[in-house]
Amino acid sequence: MNVESTIKRTIAGRYRKERRFQQMGMISMVIGMMFLLWLLVTIVQDATSALRQTLVAVDISLDEDNFDQPINKASIKSASFGKMIKKSLRKDFPDVKKRKDKKQLYKIVSNGAEYAIRDSIIESPELIGTTHRFWVFADDEIDMLMKGLIDRNIEEGNRRVSDKTISWVDELVAEGRVETRFNWTFFTSGDSRDPELSGIWGAMKGSIFTILITMLLALPIGVAAAVYLQEFAPKNRFTDLIEVNINNLAAVPSIIFGLLGLAILINYFGLPRSVPMVGGMVLALMTLPTVIISSRTALAAVPPSIREAALGVGASRVQMILHHVLPLAAPGILTGSIISLARALGETAPLLVIGMVAFIVDIPTGPDSPSTVLPVQIYLWADSPERAFVERTSAAILVLLIVLVSINGLTAMLRNKVERRW
Amino acid sequence: MSFKENQEYQTVGNAFSDDPMITCRNVDVFYADKQAIFDVSLDIAKNEVLAMIGPSGCGKSTFLRCLNRMNDTIDICRVSGEITLHNENIHSRETDVVYLRARVGMVFQKPNPFPKSVYENVAYGPRLHGLAETKSDLNEIVESSLRRAGLWKEVKDRLEQAGTGLSGGQQQRLCIARAIAIQPEVILMDEPCSALDPIATSVIEELIDELKQQYSICIVTHSMQQAARVSQRTAYFHLGKLIEIGLTDDIFTHPVHELTEGYITGRFG
Amino acid sequence: MKIQGEGHIFKRFDQEMSHLHSVVLDMGKLAVQQLADANGTLEKADVDAAHQVITNDARLNALDIQADNEITNIIARRQPMAKDLREIIAVGKIVADLERAGDEARKIAGLTIRFFKTSENPPRQEILEDIYALSDFVMEMLTMSMKSFDDLDLALAGNVLNDSLKLDNKLQSTIRRLSTFIMEDARNVGHFVDIVLGIRALERFGGHAKNIAGHIVFIKSGEDVRHAGLEDILARIQA
Repeated sequence: MNVESTIKRTIAGRYRKERRFQQMGMISMVIGMMFLLWLLVTIVQDATSALRQTLVAVDISLDEDNFDQPINKASIKSASFGKMIKKSLRKDFPDVKKRKDKKQLYKIVSNGAEYAIRDSIIESPELIGTTHRFWVFADDEIDMLMKGLIDRNIEEGNRRVSDKTISWVDELVAEGRVETRFNWTFFTSGDSRDPELSGIWGAMKGSIFTILITMLLALPIGVAAAVYLQEFAPKNRFTDLIEVNINNLAAVPSIIFGLLGLAILINYFGLPRSVPMVGGMVLALMTLPTVIISSRTALAAVPPSIREAALGVGASRVQMILHHVLPLAAPGILTGSIISLARALGETAPLLVIGMVAFIVDIPTGPDSPSTVLPVQIYLWADSPERAFVERTSAAILVLLIVLVSINGLTAMLRNKVERRW
Repeated sequence: MSFKENQEYQTVGNAFSDDPMITCRNVDVFYADKQAIFDVSLDIAKNEVLAMIGPSGCGKSTFLRCLNRMNDTIDICRVSGEITLHNENIHSRETDVVYLRARVGMVFQKPNPFPKSVYENVAYGPRLHGLAETKSDLNEIVESSLRRAGLWKEVKDRLEQAGTGLSGGQQQRLCIARAIAIQPEVILMDEPCSALDPIATSVIEELIDELKQQYSICIVTHSMQQAARVSQRTAYFHLGKLIEIGLTDDIFTHPVHELTEGYITGRFG
Repeated sequence: MKIQGEGHIFKRFDQEMSHLHSVVLDMGKLAVQQLADANGTLEKADVDAAHQVITNDARLNALDIQADNEITNIIARRQPMAKDLREIIAVGKIVADLERAGDEARKIAGLTIRFFKTSENPPRQEILEDIYALSDFVMEMLTMSMKSFDDLDLALAGNVLNDSLKLDNKLQSTIRRLSTFIMEDARNVGHFVDIVLGIRALERFGGHAKNIAGHIVFIKSGEDVRHAGLEDILARIQA
């Protein structure tokens, strides 16, 4: 048999196979990228409209007899700005007579408008006695209408905004009394039943506190456990058992950790529900196995020659680990830990179980004040019926994604920095 | 030629010295149930280079690592017999292993500088053992160690650069400088040139020759030529047994034991 | 790990060593042959053949150079140790001894030319008898040395060393016998000087054979016996 011709024949086939293999990989990659891109584009598309908010101008006559005398903070607080707004709207649309129609008219302005006006009066009481034009949030339905997210052409019965309301809004627009501005509220306030008043800052702060607690617990405990297991623990059945269990724990569904937190931390130790402290503890339990495993891998990757070198010049075991092994393993430990923290940041299930799913309007002030977290907030909004929450859900998802991506970027940067030190 | 694994044996040649630095008597080493070293007795004299040669797996590295208790790091390793440094049993409970390793330095097969600066590499040991009281003391130790390792001229302008950025031979000399910075009495070398090119190897060999003025050196090597070049005495290990030991001049011209002869003439492997 | 008893890990090394070995044996044979041939020319008074013997010495020289080259190459490329090292060093010396032994044989051939070409009255065969006898003796010595080299046989080497003691006695008695010839006939004096020189060459030939035996003791035992007393060496060989 002629070896040369045989080889030549097979070579062509081999190249064909290799090309096919590469093409298949390429196609899979393109499909994956397309799905990802699609997801991102939809989210971004939905989210961008949440960055703007419709405001309506109302002229409020702040007659002094609307306020209790003497005028001070308390009396301003007790004054009924709702009435004043309604009065102003009635004045603007004198044709509206029917009770039902009036109710609809009042609904153009957000429920939060009276509080916004109250706060600005408290800030500048000298306005009392004058008539002043306030820009207040429009109701979320009006907001949707202005953003074109409610179709005017469909039948009135299938539409959330009536023809009348549309005509009033158009009138306001014609008068230049409707504007859309950048939606700061979304980034500065907590949750609300009214979409136009709701924001992610409360959830964001909750996430920050939670992840801080998680980090403070999981990182030192995890690294210490990893160092002990990798460097000091004797090899016997007991440590083998521990190792197997750690590996199994890493694979336990996260909701189980939530149940554990509920049963032990809340029911047994009596810790409060819905607080980042408990959430952080539960997430720490959840991330601990991953932190330990990734830290052990990083420690094991430190070349034995470095250990020998340290021992050879008379370093003790602890000195060897602290001076040489840990610094060398640090980038790996950091990467593994931060990735598992990022996973914890996106975790919902265990937090639902310990009550962090509650509706909380106030911005949390510390790890012991009730709060929710970003992914849970997304879950809550996604569950809300109002049309305006759809864009907010997307915007919150985008924020969460940006946070996660920047954490990963930070990790990469940190790793490079630590590695480049030598 | 036949050689049974478990039979009694007698080392050929004079293993002992009138002026020993390290004495080893009836040393056995076990890895779990497997015996790696069988009843080895020998002395390492002051200011001599003792080369240990033998085929792979003959236990020469294992034996070398007994001399500064590097085997302690292996859980299943057990050493019996007596090894003394200056008449002190190094395996006794009173002997601190950190102190022992300060007196018996070690250079490894692969150059393994710490991933730190050249200066830090050398300064680490003295700092660890508190050998320098002031910064200038430390500078002095670093400089003199690098000088003795023949590296000073090459690195004096880049002491702050990474030790791992040096060439292989320089790295190995840096490791030697690191070992001598803590002023040991004995330096153990475990195939120090096996990762180096011939020129770097000869630089190290020249260095070994100079270092023996001050230290006792015990070197394990796979290169018979190297053993012949640098050592005064040579020990031949075979399957964990010290077959023959004697003056290097004699071992390489007319060894007595047939196994030694076979190994150094290249008639088995 | 396997112990292979004989045979180097590099087969080429064994081949090179055995080639060198055969070159040495060839040289030994040639040296003995040269002396035998030289004796033949003396016996047959064949001047042309004597010239041929002298020319043939060049072959020995060429082999000497060849052996030296091989030795240099082996040392440079294989760095032999222990027994191999001793053997290669000894072979270098044996080769030099054989080459000089060849020179001594050439001197005997030179005698033929002196006696039977330029000299008007050739010597009687009777007075050349001693040369033949001594030649046989030293040729036997060299043959034995070479055999001892081939087999690394210390006993044979010992025999050669013993023979070299006998050779001394033989030389003395030969000189004594030759003196009686001179007393018989003073005209022979001229020949006798040449004959004594020839005997001297044969003594050297024997000396080279003895050296070779010493080198074999060195190969075998690692001891340099060149300058030790003969009795000493013999005692050691027997021990």
